[in-house]
Amino acid sequence: MGEPAYIVTSDSETTGEEKSSTFSEIAIGIDIGTSQCSVAMWSGSGVELLKNTGNQKTMKSFVTFKGNTPSGGVSSQLSYEDEMLSGASIFNMKRLIGRVDTDPVVQACKNLPFLVQTLDIGVRPFIAALGNNVWRSTTPEEVLAIFLVELRAMIEAQLKRRIRNVVLTVPVSFSRFQLTRIERSCAMAGLHVLRLMPEPTAVALLYAQQQQQSSHDNMGSGMEKIALIFNMGAGYCDVAVTATAGGVSQIKALAGSTIGGEDLLQNMMRHLLPESENLFRNHGVSEIKRMGLLRVATQDAIHQLSSLNSVRVDVDLGDDMKICKTVNREEFEEVNRKVFEKCESLIIQCLKEAKVEVEDLNDVIIVGGCSYIPRVKSLVANVCRRNEFYKGMHPLEAAVCGAAVEGAVASGINDPLGNLDLLTIQATPLAIGIRADGNKFVPVIPKDTAIPARKELVFTTVHDNQTEALIIVYEGEGEKAEENHLLGYFKIMGIPAAPKGIPEINVCMDINAANVLRVLAGVVMPGSRKPAVPVMEVRMPSVDDGHGWCAEALNRSYGATLDLVTLRKIAL
Amino acid sequence: MRCHGLTVHGSNHRGFCVPTVSPVFLRPTRPVTRISFPKATLKNEGLVMELSFYELLGIPESGSLMEIKNAYKQLARKYHPDVSPPGRVEEYTKRFIQVQEAYETLSDPSRRAMYDHDMAKGINFAFNARRRRNYHDQHMKSALVLSLLRAGIINTNLIYSVIKAVGFEKVVEQKSEWKSRWQSQLSELKRRSSSKEGGGNMSWAARMRQQRDELANES
Repeated sequence: MGEPAYIVTSDSETTGEEKSSTFSEIAIGIDIGTSQCSVAMWSGSGVELLKNTGNQKTMKSFVTFKGNTPSGGVSSQLSYEDEMLSGASIFNMKRLIGRVDTDPVVQACKNLPFLVQTLDIGVRPFIAALGNNVWRSTTPEEVLAIFLVELRAMIEAQLKRRIRNVVLTVPVSFSRFQLTRIERSCAMAGLHVLRLMPEPTAVALLYAQQQQQSSHDNMGSGMEKIALIFNMGAGYCDVAVTATAGGVSQIKALAGSTIGGEDLLQNMMRHLLPESENLFRNHGVSEIKRMGLLRVATQDAIHQLSSLNSVRVDVDLGDDMKICKTVNREEFEEVNRKVFEKCESLIIQCLKEAKVEVEDLNDVIIVGGCSYIPRVKSLVANVCRRNEFYKGMHPLEAAVCGAAVEGAVASGINDPLGNLDLLTIQATPLAIGIRADGNKFVPVIPKDTAIPARKELVFTTVHDNQTEALIIVYEGEGEKAEENHLLGYFKIMGIPAAPKGIPEINVCMDINAANVLRVLAGVVMPGSRKPAVPVMEVRMPSVDDGHGWCAEALNRSYGATLDLVTLRKIAL
Repeated sequence: MRCHGLTVHGSNHRGFCVPTVSPVFLRPTRPVTRISFPKATLKNEGLVMELSFYELLGIPESGSLMEIKNAYKQLARKYHPDVSPPGRVEEYTKRFIQVQEAYETLSDPSRRAMYDHDMAKGINFAFNARRRRNYHDQHMKSALVLSLLRAGIINTNLIYSVIKAVGFEKVVEQKSEWKSRWQSQLSELKRRSSSKEGGGNMSWAARMRQQRDELANES
């Protein structure tokens, strides 16, 4: 065997021997939260959380750009709060990654104490950190990658070996495009993504493991147990319903939204200083400092309101701008009423989609940073009609532990005690379909479909002698096409001339075990058994960062000329 | 590639013969052709088409909801690509999707009742993703046409010309109203009996909701 001509850097570290090495019984799970991050490892017989040099299990998710080498929250000795005041730190990457500048979430990020610039046309936002009076541009992917490199160095120093394969947890509401951005960040950091796991499904797996262990102990019959998992962190709120039996965690339904502690914080900041957004618009050095000060003070107040009924906010923002206010818990709850209502509706939606009644739930699990907030606890308890939540899970550690367990299962680690005889049957968090029937989103793979999956649907032309059709693939829950995430598009050409409604355009979507989506489209004329033109096969998402712009351009250029409608009448 | 040598444990072949019914169509007056997508992707054809959902899950036709769930979870542990042997991932993925399909149909009392009903009538309702998608829409119409076929009123060769020539569509539409009422009573009875066996532990609200869903599907 000759030497290969060249070696691709990112793949050079893994040559297959890693799996067979003596250390193969280690698996890594990473939970990068909007504000905090943690790492867990499966080592031999159980899950264990790793600590950084500062002896922290949870580290702040941020990267500071100062001098020549950026440093992240894993190794940084300075406090997050101080860093924030200078404009040199970038955080909330998870809210920015894979979003275009027309996205309301990106718009809300403009209130953060670093630069988020938008052109509002559907391209990637410009983000930058301030250092030595220079705004240095970066991207959410890059920031995340820097952070991951630090994490990786920390893990490798502790394990004294290289690591490559990791399981990451992600929010339920992430689009497939956003997932590719996370994968990209990992690749930039030299990590290979074994799985991207929606956060509550990682918790569900941990639950399945605990149930199996306890049924071993009691010699239980392996009865099916249904649990609802509510996870609310700083950036996202996720709900899952899982049916667990014999170590198999079957995800019945998922629901998620971009709401979290960050919204509670911003609403509260607005409450304390109604003009805050306008005041900070220019992103001057002193304004950033003010913004940072207000943020830190508000955050403290919210934390205290979890245990106290009222709290005094006393902060000097400089320039004779002082806030001296007492806020109580009712005020906090009223200011954030809409956020809490959204949480409730997510739970109700998830139960409905899972076809599960509240009284069928065996356990209700509540995790995430926001699970400490009394109002959050009470709303989950109310909707689920429960006085008690499931005990035996650490609210901030459950997801990352589940990810480590999934890593162990996915890399085929054997546990002699049977602690890894587990399986998660994932479900699609969002529907995937195409634009058809006018401007409608027509799902081909519905929401909450078990993965792997393959579904197909037949469409037809809307014009006589229409020879081309544009297949625009979206993902989401919206009824109109543009309310969903664009994943990609391609054109079918050479449709034989025929009156409208005659050619059959068969669109098939396939999600394989690795969660890779492929869209296939073929044309069949009635009476023929063979496709009229070669079948198109496209791996999605195929869009790049300018996808918001792109969807609009497609609509403008083509309008309805290359449209399709669903062909309802299909053979029984 | 057929999988005759398959061992689905506990499967009971009851000599259930599946006659080949040529597909019937109401309105589109033509068949929709299935495309065999490239090999790189999944292929349904010729796998275990001849197995019924019960056989796929390896349970008797009288199996309870509990048995269905247990069988599904057991088979998932076997076929899910996360746990299948490295060399057979693609093959097992296909099997997993079929098992999933069977489970989804049989674990829903109303869909199971309809499936049982069709099986009793001898329609081969083995795995077919697209069929299921249109299951509710097409079910009533097909049942009617089938009964007409059986009664000798029309035959398969004639059916398209009958539909076209005598404006059969209208007749069908009028009749189908009466038919669907009768049909819904039947499926309700079936559902009840099956939920007595299987879904007996469903709450009142769950039953009501299901009934409503069923009505929505029929209308």
